[in-house]
Amino acid sequence: MAHRSPASLLGETLAREGRVAPAVEACYEALASQEQDPLLHAVLAHLFLADGFYDEAIVLASRAIELDPDCAPAYLALGLAYDRRGGLWDQSILVWQELAEVRPDLVIARVQLGEALFAAGFPDEAIEAWKAALQLDSGASRAMYDLAVAALMREGVATALPGFRRAGELDPSQDAFFFSLSGVSDDGVPVPDPAVVPEDRDARLSAAYALAFREEYFSAAELIREILVGNSQDAEALALASFLYLKQEAVNEAMAVALRSLTLSTKTPAAVYVLGVSFARRQGLGHSTARVFSALAKAAPEHPMPRVLLGESLLSLQRFSDAKTAFLLAVKLDPTCVRARFGLAAALLTQGEYAAAQWEIRRAAYHDTRRQGLFWRLVDGYTEGRSI
Amino acid sequence: MSNPGFALGATLYPLGAESQGPEECYARDMAEDLSAMSDAGFSLARVLVSWKSIEPQVGLYDERALARLAQVVVSARSRGIRTIVCLFADDRQAELLDVVWGRRRDPRTDRYLLQREVALVAQVASALRSESGVFGWQLANEAFCAGFTSAADLEEWTRSMREAIREVDPDRPITLGIDAETFFRATGIDAHAAIATCEFAVSHVTAAYRAYAADGPSTSGPSTYLDGFLLRLADRGMPVLADDVGPLTLQDSPAEEAAALRTALWSGLANRASGALLRRFRDFDADHREPYFLDPFETLVGVADASGEPKPTLQEAHRFLSTLADADLRGFESPPERTAIILPAERYRPLPNLAGLFDPRACFSAFIGAKEAHVPVTVVEETDDFGAYSVLIVPSAFRLKNKTWPRLVKFVQRGGSLVMSYGGGDAHAAIRELFGIESLGDGGASTRLSCRVAQDGALGEIENFDVRFDVPNFALLTADSATVVATDSSGSPLLTINHLGQGRAIYVAVPLERAIAQGDPWATPDPVRHLLREVYGAVARAAGCGAPVACSAPEVELALFQGDVEDALVLINHSPVALDAELLTTRRVDSIAELDGGSPISVGGTRFLVTLGANGAVALRLAYS
Repeated sequence: MAHRSPASLLGETLAREGRVAPAVEACYEALASQEQDPLLHAVLAHLFLADGFYDEAIVLASRAIELDPDCAPAYLALGLAYDRRGGLWDQSILVWQELAEVRPDLVIARVQLGEALFAAGFPDEAIEAWKAALQLDSGASRAMYDLAVAALMREGVATALPGFRRAGELDPSQDAFFFSLSGVSDDGVPVPDPAVVPEDRDARLSAAYALAFREEYFSAAELIREILVGNSQDAEALALASFLYLKQEAVNEAMAVALRSLTLSTKTPAAVYVLGVSFARRQGLGHSTARVFSALAKAAPEHPMPRVLLGESLLSLQRFSDAKTAFLLAVKLDPTCVRARFGLAAALLTQGEYAAAQWEIRRAAYHDTRRQGLFWRLVDGYTEGRSI
Repeated sequence: MSNPGFALGATLYPLGAESQGPEECYARDMAEDLSAMSDAGFSLARVLVSWKSIEPQVGLYDERALARLAQVVVSARSRGIRTIVCLFADDRQAELLDVVWGRRRDPRTDRYLLQREVALVAQVASALRSESGVFGWQLANEAFCAGFTSAADLEEWTRSMREAIREVDPDRPITLGIDAETFFRATGIDAHAAIATCEFAVSHVTAAYRAYAADGPSTSGPSTYLDGFLLRLADRGMPVLADDVGPLTLQDSPAEEAAALRTALWSGLANRASGALLRRFRDFDADHREPYFLDPFETLVGVADASGEPKPTLQEAHRFLSTLADADLRGFESPPERTAIILPAERYRPLPNLAGLFDPRACFSAFIGAKEAHVPVTVVEETDDFGAYSVLIVPSAFRLKNKTWPRLVKFVQRGGSLVMSYGGGDAHAAIRELFGIESLGDGGASTRLSCRVAQDGALGEIENFDVRFDVPNFALLTADSATVVATDSSGSPLLTINHLGQGRAIYVAVPLERAIAQGDPWATPDPVRHLLREVYGAVARAAGCGAPVACSAPEVELALFQGDVEDALVLINHSPVALDAELLTTRRVDSIAELDGGSPISVGGTRFLVTLGANGAVALRLAYS
């Protein structure tokens, strides 16, 4: 591996910590003696990109690629800088194609390539790129959203709606919302062993939620069954049971159990959520879905997801203006909510607001890539590759 | 028809279609365009000199090319339009400066070419000396000046060309034709000294600067304030022309283009522009050019399509001019702004110093904050004289010059009000005297911002809040002689006021303006925006230079023009949503009427409601009891 100076390592460490000013200073100090280090340029490009200084990022990332055409993190920074800068789609397409060649396993390169191609007016090629992204990762929800938006623009709402539904199902933040309704989060505590859970209701319920959170649905279901054997009218246990049915694609059962839970107690928003999602998966229940998610939005006013779900249900009812309002509220609650921005873009497209829709898609891409921490993964891969 | 107080025009490019060659500069009859411009009320046009056409061989001038240029000027004059003649413009299409005999020489610095340029200027100026249709001279445009590598070369070139014009034409105004701020951002060259030698300046929202400072939709958010901000920055005591106004992106709908232009024109009027030049009159008839969605060189998009059919933007310009013409603002005067935002001198330091990147954005955030508080505000440089102002705002500066601190102390002691937000790093020793606080260091970055009001009403109607909001720094302070107005959730001072001499100094412990700019400026939490508005508004109010008319809608920019018996009030909605703004005046208003001759509506009080359409603008005449 090429020798890296202490200033270079310091710059990278500070950059990883998000301390922009000292990181920039350290990187420039390192550059004075190591101008030929592509990684230094790439890290600087990433820092400038993070703060929205696109022109500086473009110059530095281009230099990094010039120094080493295999510098994957530099391609990422350059492509994102072009995309966020806007209007430079031809350059952007080239960069994403290069990155897809340098790192053929990288899903985001295909997704971004598709978005650049679509923005540049090459929809067929864009769709191919998104499909390639989904082949690499069937859970790439952004690629699915992009396909749905493309379908909306080319073929209309009816064709696009299944795509939006599918994209929503792929979105992991929806499950996170369900668990946040029940106060469950990733607290770092190991998954409980179902065999040693105390035999009281609260302990079992808590353990069942923890297991469900870790996607151990069968163990969670067993604990719920034990609670319900003791008390078949436990609304909270029924709410989780309905979720577990939903995760196993037993939509009718999920719907029935969620309804049972709500019959027993109207204060189980988790059951409201499951009911709404179940309704959304059944044809012809659009009005009921919208009503349920509207109730959920009132029950969880601080959370963007019920607004997103409401917006999507309104979209399927072709109530575009109401859908737009719901998505706007979701974006206001959480500007980083990628799904809300895609939904808003869809609603805007139905109203002919193409420029605003493109802007929302760009913002969605911006927040999606920011939260992924992908740059540093590429840096790690690149430095490992260089050390071999 | 046009209002002498605000001239509006457009650039007439030498070529209209990609199929034309450089030798066809102004070969097309411009009469149709000029008539349409005249009908719309335009009073200005810019024409570009083609050095290549006029001097095809060294020292040999093509009289026909000169005559064609002169013919455009005459044709414009006959329709009541005066012309700005731009001498050295690179328009990206017509190879205006590509004199074949000058290849491989830099026209900005090469001594021989400089001599030829001086001779050309003399030739053109002499040809048009007696032509009353010429309003003034523009030496160059940004595309040409971007080739300069030093401020000294630029200044020298400007001086030479000016002298060449003055040899022939001692009177008509000259502009260099570049915006100092956007030019510095693009090239790193400070053009202030060169611009200062001219008679008028220009402000210019370039695509690159917009991407830097105000990315996003053109009809909402920060980008709608950018024209005003750059106008204020360009205003160095000489008239400023808002240059190249109009759509930059090919992505907006015609309605959005019109809305953006409406905001830009009214905002120009409200921010003391002497006039505006639209980017281009007629679209360049280009080959279909996917995949561009931005006008790559900002020279393609006009207000009429390639066949001359007017677009909504032209109708918008016409409406604007009609309103102004009927209003006749000559009897009104806009009082000078007494609140100024200071652009720190560190802004001119190169990388790796980050101030050059962060400071203009922070100033822009402060500008929007002041506009949302309806405070009449301008932007000044750190080295400027502060004597004309009652309130100074220093937004999130990393470091001021050592010489500036005693000037600020003196400013406050003499009765001024200073608002400064912490910029990070070590605090200057002068903050103890100025702000009555002791620095305990930097608390570092945080993803949340809290406010707990400790002194109700001391700085407007600030409220308690806890929001998710990234702040890069937090100054840990103890109050010495200062009063703590608000703290964060842990009790550390967030806002303090210190009385010093006859004035007050307000300190904000976080780089609020920078945090707004560096975060997602379209998603700044409402309480944070409210805090900034309240602080600026309250300080300006207490200093006697607050909002001239209180307005319930922060999205509405307002400008008051005072007359002898009546006032004129301009209201601009910066939001793409229609709204009702409740206005509260200090004097009892008898009636209001639209400036362009609407019938008066009785008010009989100090409060009235105005409805503004999406990105709408209204100019009202206020008659007092």
